[in-house]
Formats: sequence, C-alpha cells, structure tokens
Amino acid sequence: MLKLTNFSVQDILQNINVQFDEGKTYVIMGKNGVGKSTLIHSIMGRPDLETEGSIEFLDQDISELSVDERARLGIFVSFQTPVSIPGLSNFQFIKQSLDIKMPEMKAKLDNFKTLSSQMNLPADWDKRNLNTDASGGEKKKNELIQLLMLDKKFAMLDEPDSGLDVDGIKTLVEQLNNWKNKNNTLVVVTHYEQLIQGLNPDAVIVLQKDTVKVGDKSLAEQIFNNGFDNV
Amino acid sequence: MSIENLDNKSYKEGFNTEVEVDSLPPGLTEQTVKQISQIKNEPNWLTEFRLKSFKRWKEMSEPDWAELNFPNIDYQALSYYSAPKYRSKDDIPQEILDTFEKLGVPLHERDALLGIEKDSKVIPTVAVDAVFDSVSIATTFKAELEKHGIIFCSISEAVQQHPELVKQYLGSVVPYTDNYFACLNSAVFTDGTFCYIPKGVRCPMELNTYFRINARNTGQFERTLIIADDDSYVSYLEGCTAPAYDENTLHAAVVELVAHDRAEIKYSTVQNWYPGDENGVGGVYNFVTKRARCQGVNSKVSWTQVETGSAVTWKYPSCVLKGEGSVGEFYSVAVTKGKQQADTGTKMIHLGKNTKSTIISKGISFGDSTNTYRGMVKVNPGAHNARNYTKCDSLMLQDSRALTIPYVTCENNSAILEHEASAGKISEEQMYYLQSRGLTEDDAMNCVVNGFCKDVFQKLPLEFAAEANKLLGVTLEGAVG
Repeated sequence: MLKLTNFSVQDILQNINVQFDEGKTYVIMGKNGVGKSTLIHSIMGRPDLETEGSIEFLDQDISELSVDERARLGIFVSFQTPVSIPGLSNFQFIKQSLDIKMPEMKAKLDNFKTLSSQMNLPADWDKRNLNTDASGGEKKKNELIQLLMLDKKFAMLDEPDSGLDVDGIKTLVEQLNNWKNKNNTLVVVTHYEQLIQGLNPDAVIVLQKDTVKVGDKSLAEQIFNNGFDNV
Repeated sequence: MSIENLDNKSYKEGFNTEVEVDSLPPGLTEQTVKQISQIKNEPNWLTEFRLKSFKRWKEMSEPDWAELNFPNIDYQALSYYSAPKYRSKDDIPQEILDTFEKLGVPLHERDALLGIEKDSKVIPTVAVDAVFDSVSIATTFKAELEKHGIIFCSISEAVQQHPELVKQYLGSVVPYTDNYFACLNSAVFTDGTFCYIPKGVRCPMELNTYFRINARNTGQFERTLIIADDDSYVSYLEGCTAPAYDENTLHAAVVELVAHDRAEIKYSTVQNWYPGDENGVGGVYNFVTKRARCQGVNSKVSWTQVETGSAVTWKYPSCVLKGEGSVGEFYSVAVTKGKQQADTGTKMIHLGKNTKSTIISKGISFGDSTNTYRGMVKVNPGAHNARNYTKCDSLMLQDSRALTIPYVTCENNSAILEHEASAGKISEEQMYYLQSRGLTEDDAMNCVVNGFCKDVFQKLPLEFAAEANKLLGVTLEGAVG
C-alpha cells in the first residue's frame, strides 16, 4: 500500500525504509521527539516538511502531490491536537470533505449522529463548531468519526488515545477493529498498552532517527518492560 | 493562482446595456437642479428642498478625514440625470428586462404571475423594485401589497401619490445639512424606493430593490425612505451592481428609516459594485449615508451588509436609539482586494432609556487593499441602562491593511459597553487540516472565511444568505498564493 525508500525529512529523519501492506495493522512507537508525528505528516504531505527519497502509494510516486491530492487518493491522518475552525460545524466539515449532495444528506447526518452518540458525545455535536470549545478527548473522538465516515484506504492515527477515558478507549478499539478490512491499512502511533493489545497489530515499528526496527507484538512488550534503549 | 490573475473578466456583472436614454449634459448648476425637478413634475415644496440643499452644498467642502485615498471628483464632469427612454411602464425596452434577467433579478415573469387568476395559491415571497440608472423601471407585486395597505413604490411615484408622507419624513433622519454627500444627494436625487408599512401589519414578503448603474459618467443619487408604523414589520434587501467602466462612477445615496412603537425594520444590503481593475482603474465610489431613527418604544432596526465591491466604500449605517427600549443592530462583512479601499462601520447613538445595540463587523482584506472599521458608540446622559456589544474581527490574507478605529463616548454610568476585537490571518495549520480531508486550497480558504463570516450571514434573509455565500466565494477566487 505505502512504501518509503531512503526517505528523509529535513534533519529529523534520515534514510527510513519501511513498507505498509494492505489489510494490516501497524503500531508505531518511539522515544518522545524522535519524529513519529513528523513521519506521519510528511506522508500526508505537509508543505513545510521537506523530504527526500521515495514515497510510493499504491505503486505510484506521490512525492510531488499536494496534501489534498494525497487525501483524495485515500490517505488520512488523525491529528494529535486538531486545530479549531470557528464558524464551521462538525457535520458541515464532513459535508464538505465528502461533498455530500442533497439526496444523501439525511442518511449521512443520521450516520453522524449515531456515531457521535455511540461515543458519548453531546446530542448537538453535529452543530458544534469544529474543534472549538471541545475537550481533548472530544476532539479525538471527532477525528475518529471522520475516519469512519470518510472513505479512506490508509489511515494514520497520531496518539488517538490521549485524552480518552477507559470507556473511550474501549469504543476506540471497537470502532477501529470494525473499520479494518483486507483492503485498508491502519497505522497507529501510541504508547498505550491497552490500545496495542486491543488492536492486535500485525507489526510493531520502533522509529529511530535513521532506522526502523520492526517486530511483532512482543516487541511492544519488550519496550514496556525494558524501555527503548534496549531495542 | 496569484492575485495578478484577477481581471475584469471575473466581475461577471461587468457588461453594459445599449439602450436609448434621456439625459442631461454634464454639469451641476441651479439650473440642473430645477430641470431635474421639472422632468419629474415635482411639487414646489420638493423643488425648494432641492434648491435649499444645492445652495448649502456649494458652501460645504468635501470631507477628508477618512483612511481613503482617491483622486478629486470633478463634479462638473458628471451628468446628474440619465434615464432610459420609453413611453410607458408597459413599454419597457427588452434590453433592460434582459439585463435584470441576466443578473438574476425576476421582473416580468412575476408580473405575469399576478395576472393569472387560477394560480392564486402561488404565494409570492419577494417583491422587486428595479432601478436602472436614475429611474425605477418596475415594481412587482404592488397590487398584492396594497391589499395590506403597504406602499412599495419608487420615490418619484410616492411624491406624486403620497406627498404628505414623503413631506413628513424626507430629511427627518438625515437632514440636508448632515454631510457633503447627503447634501448633494438632497439636491439631485432622482429615484429610489419608498416604503410605508401601516400599523399592525407584518409585510408578507421580502421587499427587494435592485440597483443597476449603466450609463457612463453619471452620478447615481438614490434616495430611499422606509417607514414602519406602530407594531409593523418589514424585511428589505438591496442589491447593487454596475458595468466595468474605466472611469469612476459616483454613487452617493441616502437611506432613511423610521421605526415607530414596537416596529421592526430589517435592512440588508448585498453590494457588488464594480471594484475597478487590478490597477485600481475605474470602479464605483460608494459614499452612502444610511441612518435609522428608532423613534418608538421597543422599536428595532437591524442593518446587515455584505460589501464586496466598489473601488472606494465610505458608509456608516447607523441607528439613533430614541425610543425607550429600542434596539439597533449592525452586522457587516466587508471584503477588500486589489486596490479597493473601505472605510466603513456604524454609529449607535443611545438617547432613550434601556436601549441596546449590537455591532458585529467582519473585515477581510487582501492584496494592496485597505479595510478600515470605524465605529461609534455614543451614550448620552439620558440613556440609562444602555447596553452595547461590539465585536470587530479582521482577517488579513496576504499583505493588506486593516484598521479598527472605535469611538466610544459614555455619559451615563449605568451603561455597560463591551468591545472585543481580533485580527489575524488564516493559519497554515487550519489550511493543512482542511486540505488533509481532501478540500482544495480554494475550498479550504472558503471554509475558513465562511466560518469567519457566519455570525453575519446568519442575519441575512434565507434566500440571500446563499447568494452572499456564493458572492464571497467568487470574490475570494485566487486569493490564495
């Protein structure tokens, strides 16, 4: 699905080689500040991150594509701290992103309301301003709703657990496992043991400045027991 | 896409209409004023009003305190009257009807609707008065409105049919001495809208005047007068466009509103006068005096404006809150780009007890433009418990100038005045977030700007909120980069 070859981002990450396959779930771990968010956002194509090396999505070189072009190809990122956009409501945002036309409007709105109620969000969540006056956890839930409603192939979630309470985590795990299928790929940056267990990843990737270490779930256990320095 | 790509082609109302006109030669003398009055067959008191104003105007000088920079206007080089030639209202030249059709303003078809008896369950929602240059061309649904006792017609017609009303109110809110441009208008105004809502009547449809400037080198001096008697309600909207000419066109209108006891007037403007080209050549000078007197107890006037056009915009729709418990509101989105300049805002004058005013002003500027909000909140000694809430936000795209100049005078210490302001740019972070969901750069910007303007757009009548949204989208095209 997505392949990075000798991929570098400014002086933060050097020569990273990693491949993400269809139908699989990956967990990315790494020391604070090593560049996990940077990696994710450079895959998304954030304009201020200069990259070198090759990045291929569905066998296509996407290094020259803009953020919105990559999004339309099916790449999604869930932000660690989603930005607020006053005056734009949560549902309106989905409406714009999906370009929903009138005939489907009611069905989509109902879908939105069902999802937000499943996540214990307030009843008027569809009308609330995007990420404005919302708690950290609420913003994360909003990101999840977007993932579930937008039709994406390659989803990268940046610490989706932060700010969520125990029930929130449970719902997150349920919804993500539901979303996974043999045609999409899920990549989650997290340090939360419960989440890693619940997602049952196919591979755990430990990101370092100039290399990646790949292993299975036991690699995560190893880190929890002994820390990063013994990887 | 860069700002340099903007040109006349993107102002789709920039076409002009070839039609035969009656017009006065350029120049302004006492004779010109008399001629205008004569052409319109006006009663003596009105001719006197004009002459008095003209005399005073000659003694005044153009104000220069605004944050505006424009070449001197040669008042003798303009023609003060230009009207399309036709015999009777049934004989309107097709070209003019076509113009309004092209601009999306429904006229003739709606008139035809009224004539079909069996279709009486078609309830009209908008009545239109169309003004082409100096003359009101057609007013739809007058008969329907008359059934409610509502008068909605051109000012010229009102002078003939309802002179007592016009005489009572003309100049009562904006005296001819008020300012240079209002004084000029009082001398040479040609047409505009007159509206009277009788006691207890809630106007059943939106009243809409559409102003179209067509002739070159003319001044446009509309005069609008709306009176809402006790316990009445009316919602009125004006739309404005003009062709893309190289010369500047002066538009100096006066709008007076009077609201009696418990009456409410909603006045909305969507202005898209030709803004001039990217070098600042041509464009309309929009110098307008708009004022409401909230005369009655618990009366209310709301001004809502979306200003995207004009080379230079200079206007302060205001409310004089005289009646006890009266309410004044001002909601504005003003966009400037290219070489446009705007110095606009409002004045809320609190005179009576328990009066309330709300001001929400959104300024968006980009390119070399200058966007100034100038607002006054004045609380007089007798205005016990006055309340004001003011919020001015500026959004600057690229390098542009935005200024906020609030004047606050409070002479009664039971008043509470709140003022909030913000100035900023569209953040990269917001753009990135929106684009990461597949929105293009232009769509992402539209989202942020629409969100920014939402508080104001919500105040527009429903049909026009959508239009305003579209207009904003077109105006912002190419603003990124």
